[in-house]
Amino acid sequence: MQFQQLIRILDTFWERQGCHLVQPYELEMGAGTFHPATFFGALGLTPSRAAYVQPSRRPTDGRYGDNPLRMQRYYQYQVLLKPTPDDVQHLYLDSLRACGLQLEEHDVRFVQDDWESPTLGAWGLGWEVWIDSLEATQFTYFQQVGGLDLEHISCEITYGLERITMFAQATTGVYQLAYGPGVSYGDLHLANERESSRYNFELADVALHQQLFTLYEQDAHRLLDAQALLPAYEQLLKCSHTFNLLDARGAISQSDRPRFVLRIRTLAKRCAELYLERQGQEPNNKGQGKQQTAWVVAT
Amino acid sequence: MPTKRSRLTRALRPAPQTPRVADLLFEIGTEELPAAYLPSLIDQLARESTALVHSHHLTAAGVESYGTPRRLALIIRGLDATQRQPAEEIRGPAKQACYDPQGKPTPALLGFLRSRGGSLADVKIISSDKGDYAYLVKRPVAGPTTKILPALLAELITRLRAPKTMRWDATGVRFARPIRWLVALYGTTPIRCTFGRLVSEPRTWVGLPKRPRAAAVRSLQTYLRTLKTARIILDHPQRRAVIEQAVRRLATRHRGEPVTEMLTHGLLDEVTHLVEEPVPMAGTFDPSYLALPREVLLASMAKHQRVFAVESNGRLVPACVAILEGTPTRPATVRAVIERILNARLADSLLFWNEDHRRLPLHQMAEQLAGVTFHARLGSMDDKTVRLRALAEPIAEAWGLADEERQQVRRACQLAKADLVSAMVREFPTLQGVIGKYYARDSHEPEPVAEALEEQYLPAGARLPTTVIGAALAIIDKFDTLASYFSVGIEPTGDQDPFGLRRAAQGIVEVAWQMHRSLPVERLLLTHKSSAHRQPSPTASAGRTAPDDLTVAAKHLKKYLFERLYTFAWPTPAPSQDCIDAVLASPCNDLVDTMDRIVNLQRLSGQTELLKAAKVIERTRNILKGAPIRQLDVDPARLQEPLERHLWEVYTAHRDRVLQLTEQKAYAEATTTYGEAFYTPLHEFFDRVLVNVPDEPVRQNRLALMRAINTLYTDRIADLSKLTLVQHEESA
Repeated sequence: MQFQQLIRILDTFWERQGCHLVQPYELEMGAGTFHPATFFGALGLTPSRAAYVQPSRRPTDGRYGDNPLRMQRYYQYQVLLKPTPDDVQHLYLDSLRACGLQLEEHDVRFVQDDWESPTLGAWGLGWEVWIDSLEATQFTYFQQVGGLDLEHISCEITYGLERITMFAQATTGVYQLAYGPGVSYGDLHLANERESSRYNFELADVALHQQLFTLYEQDAHRLLDAQALLPAYEQLLKCSHTFNLLDARGAISQSDRPRFVLRIRTLAKRCAELYLERQGQEPNNKGQGKQQTAWVVAT
Repeated sequence: MPTKRSRLTRALRPAPQTPRVADLLFEIGTEELPAAYLPSLIDQLARESTALVHSHHLTAAGVESYGTPRRLALIIRGLDATQRQPAEEIRGPAKQACYDPQGKPTPALLGFLRSRGGSLADVKIISSDKGDYAYLVKRPVAGPTTKILPALLAELITRLRAPKTMRWDATGVRFARPIRWLVALYGTTPIRCTFGRLVSEPRTWVGLPKRPRAAAVRSLQTYLRTLKTARIILDHPQRRAVIEQAVRRLATRHRGEPVTEMLTHGLLDEVTHLVEEPVPMAGTFDPSYLALPREVLLASMAKHQRVFAVESNGRLVPACVAILEGTPTRPATVRAVIERILNARLADSLLFWNEDHRRLPLHQMAEQLAGVTFHARLGSMDDKTVRLRALAEPIAEAWGLADEERQQVRRACQLAKADLVSAMVREFPTLQGVIGKYYARDSHEPEPVAEALEEQYLPAGARLPTTVIGAALAIIDKFDTLASYFSVGIEPTGDQDPFGLRRAAQGIVEVAWQMHRSLPVERLLLTHKSSAHRQPSPTASAGRTAPDDLTVAAKHLKKYLFERLYTFAWPTPAPSQDCIDAVLASPCNDLVDTMDRIVNLQRLSGQTELLKAAKVIERTRNILKGAPIRQLDVDPARLQEPLERHLWEVYTAHRDRVLQLTEQKAYAEATTTYGEAFYTPLHEFFDRVLVNVPDEPVRQNRLALMRAINTLYTDRIADLSKLTLVQHEESA
């Protein structure tokens, strides 16, 4: 199975489960959880089902293309289901079957892994799903987002696309993966890994990014004051990525870290609160509400 | 599979049943419970159900509980078919408060009845010598157990606690993981039990997660048979034994045996609770990774894949044993993937190892400690290092270390935390210290320094430091941690101790006792105070004090540290609590000396010599209690009576001997000498001489004599009046 086929299979499977295929978000982010479809989708009472690929950037994980498993940019396939169906575990296993995995042939395990994103003020309980001891998926029941207790519990399923394809293709290195016909994952991404690792670790301008962090943060607060929710959230995303870059440049000491995290979490909390406040207003202002929740499936 | 009969296989044989009792089966089917939660959940299931059975006036022949990642099972054997609420008479308000002048029941009476679930017809007035009271007379009630089980079982679920719980649907019910099915059967009668949206049904699930199949459950027997057929080992102790045996068997194929610490230190327990249908599988890895330290290989195998390592004659072999959930139909593929991932993980570890080696020597890593926080209010690990180095001096002095050892303790303090900035420790936090040891060796540090870096984190389990430098660093590091947290007002409480301070204090006591070297607590506290001075953490509790005074926080810590002696695992025969009370009531500074005093008193326990000394202390203390002391030294010229002059002579004759013995720490002998010397003359003195005479100078002189005798012992060894043997005599 090629990499691009896997995406298509998951799209088809989750589309049949009533998910909107909302597509990647076009800003740098560390994980699919940052996509508004998940962050806002998990909040409030409106049912929501979404699935998408999210290119995820983790500057500190870059290895100049030398490590067969670690990259500063990779793909997550993310599914958000709210409310959580009772048979969600079976649904997930069915999705693996749809990918051509004969589960009976393998060892499948759900191993405790309680997920937390301090910057988003989000946490949940769940597992890493192991297939023959390979960590193939992160499976989480969200309990809090933006520091707020969730009224309706969402289930977040995050597939490690590279790992699953490596598993299917029995290759040991990500760059040897067949991405599509006649093209390898390395053909498409290796140069970027090398150059971006160099940028993340050596070239990114520390002073500039320190300044940017503060500017993005200020702007986010200004936009929140002006009730501009999504634009403010986008500034939060920029803050978060800038923080990750500074981290890769070694510009964030252990003692600075909690302060940076808190600054981002403060924004996340304000965004979450404003979103919920708006949801409460929806009946009075349908037009506006519809615009804000464009990524939310109303059923 | 073992042939040993478990409790469960015995249960497979139908038990003779009378209609009066039957077995209850209750199964809580869940999504995968965290392995670490299971032992406690299983215990709670038995404990809480026993309590509930009891509080519902039911009796049972036995309660058993079992668990796997996907189910918690409760079996109550021989449970009464009928609930019998016994007759009861509950006292209510006094008669005159029950009825108004018209003879109508008062709100007081009605309230009482409402709260106890009674009606006016059940009220009886009973007279006793305390007066007339209204009683609610409850007649014995009998009802079918099946009627109360639904509520009882639902209550049982809510009583099960876990470190973290979650919600999963709109009903808001909580548990460690989602509950997906319930089975409740009394004999062959299905019990309808609900939890959230869930309703119990007489069917369970097997073959999870990859081949889920529902199976009808008609009785406890069919349930156990169903699980057995599905190869699910419900009985967790048996499951553990099966896994251990399988790991041993497969290790033998690689001409080795499982690494013992993996069987004893958690991994076997964890794996037992990761699977319900264990299937072992052996694999190998690239022998070139054996170049990594043993600890790294073990940590990687345990953390990333939960597989067992194999060794032969104490050396690892490039093999592992995995425990799978259920039999895969293509085991060769599974093995290939497990091996591929193991190799990739080890390659990663090797990468970190090499990356760190480019940053050696270790003292260069130590320079980056300013960027690692110890605690937000206590500065960085670099600040901690400065304090460790300061604390090294009083320890080196107290232990009389030679110059070379002194240098090594200082060096060990300097490098103690350096490995925290390594990639290896970031990946495997539990290897802190171990990595330091290897990197110190590779940086050509003296071997005792390298050893000490690992030993600083001991005691761990039964393991204690074996080297002097290691023991010194273990004590210094823990002491700094305690003193630092106490200085900002963070102290362990009964149920809260997030920073492991209780264990740190206990660790100091254990290491100090094992080394049996002096531990001058006050000196260390003062050193800590002055070394922490430059740090930006002034708090109210630290306060401003003269350099030689202990802060309030330091006094707390001193008290806390010495109180650990009550829970210390003393060599047998362990000293009694009053023995520790007695020693701690005297001035204490050196922890180990204090412990010596306790052990010496313990050795004398029950002997007349100790009783004699104790009587001397007790009688002198009683006369001094509350007396105004205006004169500190005895004036021999003013001693009038022959008996008091004699007592003074005894004092001057024996004082030096007692002091000498004390100085030599021969506390048992000192006690004997003291008791023998003073017991008789003191009693004669008390029989004939009155201390509290009207003549104040005479009285003060006699009190001074009493005080001299008392403090000769109590200032140095123990206040024996705290011994219960003395107190018993007093009351007799």
